[in-house]
Amino acid sequence: MEYVDSLTGFRLDGRRPNDMRQIRGEIGVVAKADGSALFEMGNTKVIAAVYGPREVQNRSQQVNNQALVRCEYSMANFSTGDRARRPKGDRRSTEISLVIRQTMEACILTHLMPRSQIDIFVQVLQADGGTRSACINAATLALADAGIPMCDIVTSCSAGYLSSTPLLDLNYIEDSAGGPDVTVGILAKMDKVTLLQMDAKLPMDIFENVMQLAIEGCKAIAQYIRGVLLENTKQLECRRGV
Amino acid sequence: MVGLSEGEKRFIRGGIAQDLRTDGRQRLHYRPISVETGVIPQANGSARVRLGATDVIVSIKAELGKPHPLQPDKGKVAIFIDCSPTAAPMFEGRGGEELSTELSFALQRCLLGGRSGAGAGIDLSSLVIVEGKVCWDLYIDGLVVSSDGNLLDALAAAIKVALSNTGIPKVTVNLGASPNDQPDVDVSDEEFLQFDTSGVPVVVTLTKVSRHYIVDATSEEESQMSSAVSISVNRHGHICGLTKRGGAGLDPSVILDMISVAKHVGEQLMSLLDSEIAAAEASAEDQ
Amino acid sequence: MTTMLRELRLSLNQTQRVRLQSALQRLQDMASLASAVTVVADTIPVNHEDSILKGHGTSDLNGEVVATLCGVVERVNKLVYVRAQRARYKPEVGDIIVGRVIEIAPKRWRLEINFSQDAVLMLSSMNLPDGIQRRRTAVDELNMRSIFEENDVICAEVRGFQHDGSLHLQARSQKYGKLERGMLLTVPAYLVKRRKQHFHHLENYGVDLILGCNGFIWVGEHVNSNGENDMMVDQENREGLVNKSEVGQATYEVQEQITPLEIRKHVCRVANSVRLLCALGFSLTVEVIVDTVEASISSNTDIKDILAAEFYVQTAEREVQRRVSLTRRKG
Repeated sequence: MEYVDSLTGFRLDGRRPNDMRQIRGEIGVVAKADGSALFEMGNTKVIAAVYGPREVQNRSQQVNNQALVRCEYSMANFSTGDRARRPKGDRRSTEISLVIRQTMEACILTHLMPRSQIDIFVQVLQADGGTRSACINAATLALADAGIPMCDIVTSCSAGYLSSTPLLDLNYIEDSAGGPDVTVGILAKMDKVTLLQMDAKLPMDIFENVMQLAIEGCKAIAQYIRGVLLENTKQLECRRGV
Repeated sequence: MVGLSEGEKRFIRGGIAQDLRTDGRQRLHYRPISVETGVIPQANGSARVRLGATDVIVSIKAELGKPHPLQPDKGKVAIFIDCSPTAAPMFEGRGGEELSTELSFALQRCLLGGRSGAGAGIDLSSLVIVEGKVCWDLYIDGLVVSSDGNLLDALAAAIKVALSNTGIPKVTVNLGASPNDQPDVDVSDEEFLQFDTSGVPVVVTLTKVSRHYIVDATSEEESQMSSAVSISVNRHGHICGLTKRGGAGLDPSVILDMISVAKHVGEQLMSLLDSEIAAAEASAEDQ
Repeated sequence: MTTMLRELRLSLNQTQRVRLQSALQRLQDMASLASAVTVVADTIPVNHEDSILKGHGTSDLNGEVVATLCGVVERVNKLVYVRAQRARYKPEVGDIIVGRVIEIAPKRWRLEINFSQDAVLMLSSMNLPDGIQRRRTAVDELNMRSIFEENDVICAEVRGFQHDGSLHLQARSQKYGKLERGMLLTVPAYLVKRRKQHFHHLENYGVDLILGCNGFIWVGEHVNSNGENDMMVDQENREGLVNKSEVGQATYEVQEQITPLEIRKHVCRVANSVRLLCALGFSLTVEVIVDTVEASISSNTDIKDILAAEFYVQTAEREVQRRVSLTRRKG
């Protein structure tokens, strides 16, 4: 299968190798949550809801000098192309929940909210590749919406290598092609990598290129997210009045 | 669910008795309903319904399957509801399982008729392709994104809207040489048949609080209920299914009264949904 | 625009949409010069020569002051901090708050108050029913439930943080205590401004309105400070015997005094006005709330229609007028 057309250079969905899919973020989609957001990357659609910081529900888990961060990742039955019942707590969900939790925990200033609990719930509505990244981006927006102090904006993007070309932001078809899939999460302002995952094999020099491409994607998303947050903050302030 | 103090509960009960609920509604008034179709593009049909702060998404997928040996002339429909943890922290892990199961079964009862498939709100015989061999399996998946009471009515409304948005692909059948061969079915990518939803009922849940019934209870009002009866009513005013929840016993005459109230409210809800569906289709065509 | 309508999904017709857009645009124009908005990880411009105190919502990164929250940068003398918006309540000593009892523990009640932890109300910080100032005995401890039960709504004042980090409340004055004949609304805490008065008795309507600094708003039938409402006062005058400390016992509740319909209508009107203002994101002050209620009455708007499209747009337009006249008066 030709993932990159040798004549035109276009990918299967008409993008160029360095093009990211259309992204869209919306704040405040779940009324009852402290913070919530919807994030779309192409056809991948994810909702994140944050509850907290609030009193720890399970006293035995309480940490005296910082907040407890918990995360759960769920996929809707209709989220993938072939509809399948997803049992709760299956291994992939557990692994992704852990990854998201660790990534967000690294940027939340937990020591400012001792003896409290922050719950991050991520629900995938449509999965078309890059779900992990969309979840992290949605979680960042939701945490900012909830007014939880963070040291930086975390964004995530994936990249791969097919038909001898590094490709940014793989969709499902490209992801299932069997080539390598590199997911990167960065702290945008500090310019630090906080999440790095890869499957399959890649020679070192190509890996560097692919990772760099993913980092560029992350930075572009960070700029977009910053724009969304700025607009939202301005709106709230204008409405509130003096 | 946040608890309520005795004083607040008294206030809610008093309001219901005086026909003035805490948000100003009368007893038989629904909250504003907002409807969107086609929210899940990769599904055959989908809808999102918002009722106050209650927000549900329903997706419908059609896959080829084999009819049940006891009902060779009917397709199959399965309903699965899931409560997302985003709606409430208590739905985390397996916390939402009980509620999800209860909702799934209640909807099956209201929409799918008995074991024989007779009396279903959805016409199962329209889903058969080759009798006894090939049929459509409809998977109706509902997701509760945000919850503020009256999930059953919202989900049933979403299912109705999603079905009206559903296109079943056209199929061409090549029967095998002998009658025992599995027929070769060619599924069209482009042509779709709109699903016939004229028989699909709506569900009206009447929540009994002290001596009065209310429609479209918020989660605060639901915490006050002594019992609730959910009745599914179709276009012709026929009852397609009935579920009673809650421990308090009801006098049979009360149930009959509730059924007639539900029929009346169901008519209004049905016409409201019909106009919302038409509006959503019109705006989808404009885009 | 959909981002603002968290709880109210409204279908506006074309004219209403245009009116709303222009009203919101005018609000935006009025506010644009006033505030310095910042987003997480933005650098806050400071003069490095002054010894700047980095306050809440800021942190240090390579010598620069960086925001950790989305909000507005405030500068007070040498203190620079970020005022967050939809965050949880930030308690300050003396704040009047409304909370809900979550748990009864030895010698204390735990209350949910929209803070990162539950707050504590000690038995010793609470007046005893018989009103006598005395040491709390073991009997008092066992009878805590007769004062406040689980899920009761209570009005109290923030006393301060204890050395173990827990937040303590006190409810010693007559005006604090259990709230019964009404309903509790939750709004984002940033919409409630700290003022001199948080208890409001709307005399025209017979309604009590308590704007808790933590975003919990109580709207209910008016109750006198000695725990009576108008109906109870009449009854007392007639019968001459009301044992106040028995309020809450089963026998007393049999009479179940229902809030009269007239007052209930006003309570619901005030509550819906609060919900509307919260959906629009406007600050909640008693003046704006009363204005909204009066406007709904004078425009013959049905109580439930306060949350509908037309009144929503009208309220936005009214707010524009109100702020314009405010700036004119100042300037």
